[in-house]
Formats: sequence, structure tokens, C-alpha cells
Amino acid sequence: MSDQHTIDAALAGDQAAWDTLVNRFSGPLWSVARAYGLSAADAADAVQGTWLRLLESLHTIRDPGRLGSWLFTTVRREASLIGRRSRGERPVADPADAGGFRPGSSPAEDAPDPALLVLSADEGRRLWLAVEAMQEPCRSLFRLMATAPDAGVHQLAGRLGMPSGSYGPTRGRCLNRLRTMLTAQEAAS
Amino acid sequence: MTRRPAAIDDESLIAALRLAAGRDPVPGHVPATARAAFGLRLPGAATALPVAAPAPRDVRDGGEERLLRFTTAGLTVDLEVTSMDGLVDLAGQVSPCPEEGTRVEVRTPHLTEARELSATGQFAVTGLPPGWFSVVCHRPGQVPVVTSWTRIRP
Repeated sequence: MSDQHTIDAALAGDQAAWDTLVNRFSGPLWSVARAYGLSAADAADAVQGTWLRLLESLHTIRDPGRLGSWLFTTVRREASLIGRRSRGERPVADPADAGGFRPGSSPAEDAPDPALLVLSADEGRRLWLAVEAMQEPCRSLFRLMATAPDAGVHQLAGRLGMPSGSYGPTRGRCLNRLRTMLTAQEAAS
Repeated sequence: MTRRPAAIDDESLIAALRLAAGRDPVPGHVPATARAAFGLRLPGAATALPVAAPAPRDVRDGGEERLLRFTTAGLTVDLEVTSMDGLVDLAGQVSPCPEEGTRVEVRTPHLTEARELSATGQFAVTGLPPGWFSVVCHRPGQVPVVTSWTRIRP
């Protein structure tokens, strides 16, 4: 069933069509929420909020091809807001935080589409192939980061044998290197 | 001229690596709640969107108070949110005061509480579980007005 058919069926009240969307996107949405450093409880809130917003906005999604992007932009926004609130950075009401967000807007219209990277199993395999070709400490850092999602910076740094203060900058450099490798692959293909 | 591939942000790279590694799968209750949320859809309802409300003030008994305002054409819903013992109390005002027979529902993904609106347009619900909620205003002979989903975590 195409996204258009699925959306039309859900709009017509078909629970099975809605379930199809939920089953397809929940795993990736969860991974995105967790990538913002959210606890399991906060990530569950971010994903749940994303589905509730889709329920509000489903009838306004005119381009079904952008449904994945819409969901990803929304979960990123919710995860970012919840993360800031949990860290005590913005102790104000969520709706005020949401600023320009309006149900029915197409948030990702002109932005790059990171959703595709997360949604495609092929992309995931390609990423790990690139990681396995990286030198240390990046290879170990990514393996550890992926397999210990709840580990704190102290723990991760300790297991990598580096001072806690070095973990963040090292991770940033490794992510930049991975990005460069992907860009080079794309240019070569 | 070809477009350069867009740069992928850190969080998306991390999410893609973790998803492919399969070590942090989505807990079953998350999609289960999302599937059940389909029962909360309100086709044809007008959505009241959040607008700036007066700043929250501290309450002496140690609780926390938040004021929220949602508006749509011709209707405003003001909510005073307090939390005690991990549960959420809502006191609401619908204005301008709708006609007699208007019914209000406070919905969460887990339960819905219905209230008749008072003659002055007020309603209250206590002891809600924290998390996402939305308020629906059913006026006789008009489309329902529903506030945009909002998260409350004490």
C-alpha cells in the first residue's frame, strides 16, 4: 500500500492503516529521540507526542512522500524541547517553546532530509561499513555509543581510556570524519 | 550543476547507527500507545493553538502552577495547571462563555474525563496522569474545538 493510500485510509477511519504507519515508523522515531540524549521515559513522551501531532495534522499532509520527513522533523522538535526542559534550561510552557510550530505546516520543506538516512536499512549498513573502516578511537567510540545507549559520559570515556572532558570533542571529530567519508562515497558513486 | 549532498546532523547519524545496531529497540508500550491514540482523532474539529499566556507564578504550598492559553476563531480556552503528588489538576475557562449544554472533555492517551461547563464557562479536572493532554469543547450545533496536544510533566 502506498503512503497516499495509507494516509487516505487512516483519514477515512481505518485503524489498520494507522497501525501500518505506527509499526513502520516507531522504531526509527525512537532512535532519533534517544539520539537527543533522552531517557527512555522522555523518549517515549517525544514519540507519543509526535503521533498525537500527526493525528492532528494528518488531513493537512498533502504530499505523502514527505510523511517520513514530517514525522522526523516533529520528533526532533519534541525531543529537543523535552531535552531542554529535562535539563532545566527553559522552565516555561511547552506551547510557548514550540514557537512557530503549527499543525499542518511542512517543517522540513527546504531542510536536508536526514530522515532517509535513518529510515533505510541499507543506509545503516553503509554507515557501519564506514565505521569499521575508521581508525581508533572513532571505531571503538561508535561501537560503544551504539551498544550502550544509557551509558553516561564518564562511563563511556572510562571504557575508551580517555578523560571525561575529551569524550565530547572526540565524538564531534569522529562524527565529522564519518560525515566526510559519506560525502566522499556519494561523490564517488 | 549538481547540488551538493546535504550535511547530516549529529543526532541523525547517531540515530541511524544505533537503529542499525539494534541494541536499543523501541519498547513495546510506545507503539501500543500510538496505535491506541487513533481512537482520539476528531475529524472536522477546529484546533485551538497555543498562544502566549501570563507567566506562571509560584504557589506557596510547594506545588507548581502554569497558565496556558489556546485560541481558535471565536473561542479561547485558558488552563491553570497545578501538580501535586505527581498528578495534574486542570482548571479551565472557556471564553466567550458558550451557550448552555456545552460539554468539555479532557483527554489523555490513557483516559478521558467529561465535564458540563458551568454557567460562567468554567470546568475542572483533578488527578490526571502526567503526560500529553488535550481539551475538547463540544458546543451544541457547532464543530468541536480541540486544544493542540500539550505535555505536562511536574
